[in-house]
Amino acid sequence: MIKLTGITKSFGRNQVLQGIDLQVEKGEVVVILGPSGSGKTTLLRCINYLERPNAGRIAIGDFEVDCERAGKKDIHALRGKSAMVFQHYNLFKHKTVLENVMEGLVIVQRMPKETARRRSVEVLEKVGLGEKLDAYPSQLSGGQQQRVGIARALALGPEVILFDEPTSALDPELVGEVLAVIRRIAKEGITMIVVTHEMGFARDVANHVVFMDGGAIVEEGAPKDIFNKPQEERTKQFLKRIMPEPAYSI
Amino acid sequence: MKLDPSFIWEAFVKLLPVIPTTLLITVVSVACGFVIGTAVAFVRIYKVPVLHPIASAYVTFIRGTPMLTHLLIIYFGLPMIIDAVSAQLGLGFRSASIPMIDFAFLAFSITAGGYMSEVVRSGLLTVNRGQIEAAYSVGMTTPQAIRRIVFPQAMAASIPNLANSFIGMLHASTLAFTVSVVEIFAKAQIVASTNWKFFEAYLAAAVIFWGLTVLIERVAVILEKRMNLYNRGGVA
Ligand SMILES: Nc1ncnc2c1ncn2[C@@H]1O[C@H](COP(=O)(O)OP(=O)(O)OP(=O)(O)O)[C@@H](O)[C@H]1O
Ligand SMILES: [Mg+2]
Repeated sequence: MIKLTGITKSFGRNQVLQGIDLQVEKGEVVVILGPSGSGKTTLLRCINYLERPNAGRIAIGDFEVDCERAGKKDIHALRGKSAMVFQHYNLFKHKTVLENVMEGLVIVQRMPKETARRRSVEVLEKVGLGEKLDAYPSQLSGGQQQRVGIARALALGPEVILFDEPTSALDPELVGEVLAVIRRIAKEGITMIVVTHEMGFARDVANHVVFMDGGAIVEEGAPKDIFNKPQEERTKQFLKRIMPEPAYSI
Repeated sequence: MKLDPSFIWEAFVKLLPVIPTTLLITVVSVACGFVIGTAVAFVRIYKVPVLHPIASAYVTFIRGTPMLTHLLIIYFGLPMIIDAVSAQLGLGFRSASIPMIDFAFLAFSITAGGYMSEVVRSGLLTVNRGQIEAAYSVGMTTPQAIRRIVFPQAMAASIPNLANSFIGMLHASTLAFTVSVVEIFAKAQIVASTNWKFFEAYLAAAVIFWGLTVLIERVAVILEKRMNLYNRGGVA
């Protein structure tokens, strides 16, 4: 469904992705974990082609791109297959909540305005913002803004939604509402790749967990395997650092 | 010499009919300058090969030389070129048939383009990179992203500077009198030349310019409020 093969990316001399291979099945929720600077954001941005990989292949659905050869048309087509939810929301700040969600439908997908409007309202209601259609992003809380970001991505009906630390810019009391929305759409069978440090969320929403370090995938597998019996030393150390010691062991 | 208040009024009334000339020069040069300036700003931001150094040179030249020189260079230089080309090609066209005001339009547009490119460029630079990335992420092409997302935000941020450019060009349009265009300032001289009451005539002209300036400022404030509606709330 999504297949990355040998994705490499360097910024100048700094090789940030060392040849990533990753496969994601339809409807799967993949959580990517890893220490700061391990290349998680860069990987997501490569899938959405906000960063141009130096080499490798990206296949989403029936569309495949060879990164060394990709032209403008390929990039545009590939972008149409995925949608990104940003750490800092990046809502179009001169547009209302409703317009933010409609924009891609009307301008990119050429949906008639009325249809786009109906679809946008429906999605916004799903994320609990049916009351805020005419508000501007600056009038919303961080949690509400991020839910608009999710609605904007969701409305496009992409093959996969990419989340880059969707809750890490939020005040702690707002994290829950955003995670709840992501949980809900995960249950609907939307394919998602999520970079997050929310371990509780990763544990019970992920179908598949990927641990990255130094620009490479160190270990991947089912959440219970990765969390309970990690094989690699680096994974163990990372989990020990990020999760509080369990009060008892089974 | 004594102030003649009634002549101020008389001059004021006689100046009113040429207000459209002043406004026309201003609007044409600001409108063309905006188009030139926007093109130049994009060329510089996207570092378009070949055009980029030309655009930079254009901006430093315009900003580094008085506006009067732009007008005079166009006024004296362009006819020479036109007549030479016309003679080469055997056309009957003579530069003398070009209306004076056209030289002002052209020269002032070039001047305004240089200044306004910096206004547009700084406006574009205020727009966060995340905005265009979000546009790409929903599938827009670069032209769509610029037209729908980046440019409107840049313009909203630029309104105060655009208003300043407009006011600057309004005042600078008086220079057109050097190439015999009868705008407000030239008219004031003409009005006063019959009785030598220059002081009164210039006072009347000053009042008119002041009034026009205040008007522009008001419009800018209204536009700014309307276009920056989305910024209320304050948090980025
Ligand atoms: N635009 C860029 N230019 C140069 N270097 C970059 C750029 N973006 C990322 N990097 C570098 O790439 C490496 C990986 O960064 P990336 O943002 O992908 O890490 P991350 O795993 O998302 O980290 P975090 O958990 O802190 O978000 C870092 O060393 C970073 O400095
Ligand atoms: Mg990151």
